[in-house]
Amino acid sequence: MNVEITGLTRRFGRTMAVAGADLQAGPGVFGLLGPNGAGKTSLLRMMATAVPPTSGRLRLLGRDPGSYGPRQEIRRRLGYLPQNLGYYPGFTVAEFVEYFALLKEMPPARVQAAVAAAVERVELGGKAKARLRTLSGGMLRRVGIAQAIVNEPELLLLDEPTAGLDPQQRMVFRGLLRDLGQRATVVVSTHLVEDVGAACAQVALMDQGQIVFHGTPADLVARGEAPAAEGQDLGDSPLERGYSAVLAGGRS
Amino acid sequence: MTTTHTPAVSRPRPAPRHPALVTARLLRLELRHNAMLWMLPLVFALFWLTTYRKTMAMPPLWNLRAVSLQSGAILDFIVPVVGAAAWMGSREARRHTSELIKITAQPRWGRLLTTWAATTCWALVGYLICLGVLYGMTARQASWGGPLWWPAAVAAASLPAFSALGFAAGALLPSRFTAPLAAIGAFFALALSTQLITGSQSYWQVSPVVAGGWDLGPDTGVGTFYPYLPDLSIAQVMFLAGLTVALLAALALPAGSGGRRVRAAAAAVTAAGLLAAGTATVLAGTGQLDSQGMIAIPALHDAASDRPVRFTPVCSHTAIPVCLNPAYAHYLPVAVTALAPVLSEIAGLPGAPVRVSQAPATYRQGRGNSVSTGLAGPAMSGRPAVFRLLLPSQLPGPAMTTTDLAAEIRSSAGLGIVSSIVGAGRHPSPVQQAVLAVLARASSLPQPTSPPRSTPTGSRKRAAPSPPAPEPAPGSPAYAAAQRFAALTPPARRTWLVRHLPALRAGRITLAQLP
Repeated sequence: MNVEITGLTRRFGRTMAVAGADLQAGPGVFGLLGPNGAGKTSLLRMMATAVPPTSGRLRLLGRDPGSYGPRQEIRRRLGYLPQNLGYYPGFTVAEFVEYFALLKEMPPARVQAAVAAAVERVELGGKAKARLRTLSGGMLRRVGIAQAIVNEPELLLLDEPTAGLDPQQRMVFRGLLRDLGQRATVVVSTHLVEDVGAACAQVALMDQGQIVFHGTPADLVARGEAPAAEGQDLGDSPLERGYSAVLAGGRS
Repeated sequence: MTTTHTPAVSRPRPAPRHPALVTARLLRLELRHNAMLWMLPLVFALFWLTTYRKTMAMPPLWNLRAVSLQSGAILDFIVPVVGAAAWMGSREARRHTSELIKITAQPRWGRLLTTWAATTCWALVGYLICLGVLYGMTARQASWGGPLWWPAAVAAASLPAFSALGFAAGALLPSRFTAPLAAIGAFFALALSTQLITGSQSYWQVSPVVAGGWDLGPDTGVGTFYPYLPDLSIAQVMFLAGLTVALLAALALPAGSGGRRVRAAAAAVTAAGLLAAGTATVLAGTGQLDSQGMIAIPALHDAASDRPVRFTPVCSHTAIPVCLNPAYAHYLPVAVTALAPVLSEIAGLPGAPVRVSQAPATYRQGRGNSVSTGLAGPAMSGRPAVFRLLLPSQLPGPAMTTTDLAAEIRSSAGLGIVSSIVGAGRHPSPVQQAVLAVLARASSLPQPTSPPRSTPTGSRKRAAPSPPAPEPAPGSPAYAAAQRFAALTPPARRTWLVRHLPALRAGRITLAQLP
């Protein structure tokens, strides 16, 4: 397993952001769904080694991120796109991606080719020398994806990766996700259930800090086929109906 | 819960084999996008406005230029360097990249050091350009000697320390206000540090803007006749290096900056840096103004530095040659012109000097912040006699003209020469007073006044080599004798002087015997 999570909690002051999550994931694309404040981002940040868990067991790529040496080893093989991407406006696209390739301690001889490949994969080859301050929000999102995948990560964590992308780019991105999922564990946190349906082999649904559903998209669709209670709006698509049914069931 | 039972990809990725190469490439990126690069035009403008013009207006003496460079460059660079470093140090927090960067394999400390190094590199490049231009111009103008490297080294060592100070402030207290506040705070701290200096034994002398005896300021005599003493500079470099190391090591102390060993080592290095800075401060507090006008620190002092510098003086081709240190060669014509009347008046008289030779000043720390300078020993010495000329501490420059210098030489050295010949010491006889007054008038010298000339300039006093006697008071017997003697024709006066000068000096001539 690339991701092994048992009874994981994370508390920020009095707020319990993640309350005893259990999850296991191997290679493939894994969708993390849930409403706002469900704990998706907190779970992803713990998986990215950005914040330590308050309690519980977390193993990534077969290693314990609580220890310095293994954590560095995990980070060398990790890609992460945060929800709000910070960037340096004066850097060019290629420089920004190169910067992260170097910080991820890629062998220097491979950096140039890896940067070019990552930039091409997000379809920004023509903008490689453009300064980040000149790019649109969607392009910046793609730069963020490029820096996340430049080291060919074995564990790729993407928080709202399609936010700001136009429909054409979202389709391209889903193709990229499927490709990346051939070799790595890709965890995608999103509100957009159609992204999950199009790219994910596995899906987990979080609500109030807990994982309330874990299965395939087909399993989630099946959960939405039950007749809705009177007055309940379950959504337009089968996945949306499954999503709403699981949340409604969990809360009742 | 559904699980996917696929074996994890477990082959470890080794750390890069060439960490130096990774660091070099990161440094190249940081150099391209460093705020200090954009501050360089401001630095050059500040340097030109406040230091270069002032320094180049000074006489072309290496000692003056170097001392002015040290304090001037440091004050010019501190605001841009601290500001740029604080801006770069707070970059991750300002740009919200902290989390993205935090989860990379590169330890935080190494990453921050790379950014600091890029900032410092640009600051040093800017400084080296300023130094090169100023020293290059001085090399073209100076008549003797070579660059003083210790003041330049202190200024250079200040830049990494300022950069580390600003960077640590930015990294540890990130905010958009950190850069301006750190820059302004550092400037005032540095400028005000010198206000606390009292005398030569002050811990505050460790401040890098202090380039020698603080009460003395740039002085033409310091580091010309004797080698420039590096004692205080060594203490300052030690202080700055300790401060730099401590601040940079402190960046590794917060959790997440590195492994346990790295943080333990950083704590030890921080302590060592603080110890070095503290030791340097204590050493600076033991400094004393030595007789050559420089700060000597006993624990760092090398006795070899006390040996005078060898030089071949430049001399005029006059009846009584005037000889100056070659560093002052530019001022030989002024000195010769100023002294020509008096030298022609006394040439051939018994006891007249065979040469007027420039001598170094000696310095003495007085009470509080006062410093006295003067000649060690009598103005006239040796057989045959040589008059030891003490040039003014100030030479033509922003606050003095060549005419002022000539007047200063006439009033101090000119009167000193005549006074030495007549034998008018501190308590001259009335007849010596009378002859002195007549010779001074004949040589177009200013009339001697009472009390003896000792010109306090700010906190500094420069004593005339031998205080000339006051002119006789009108109506006194000496005044009448002087009038009588002045009425003689120059050949008659000269003939009398040739015959009677030894007796006059010995005090065996009375007013009545004066023709």
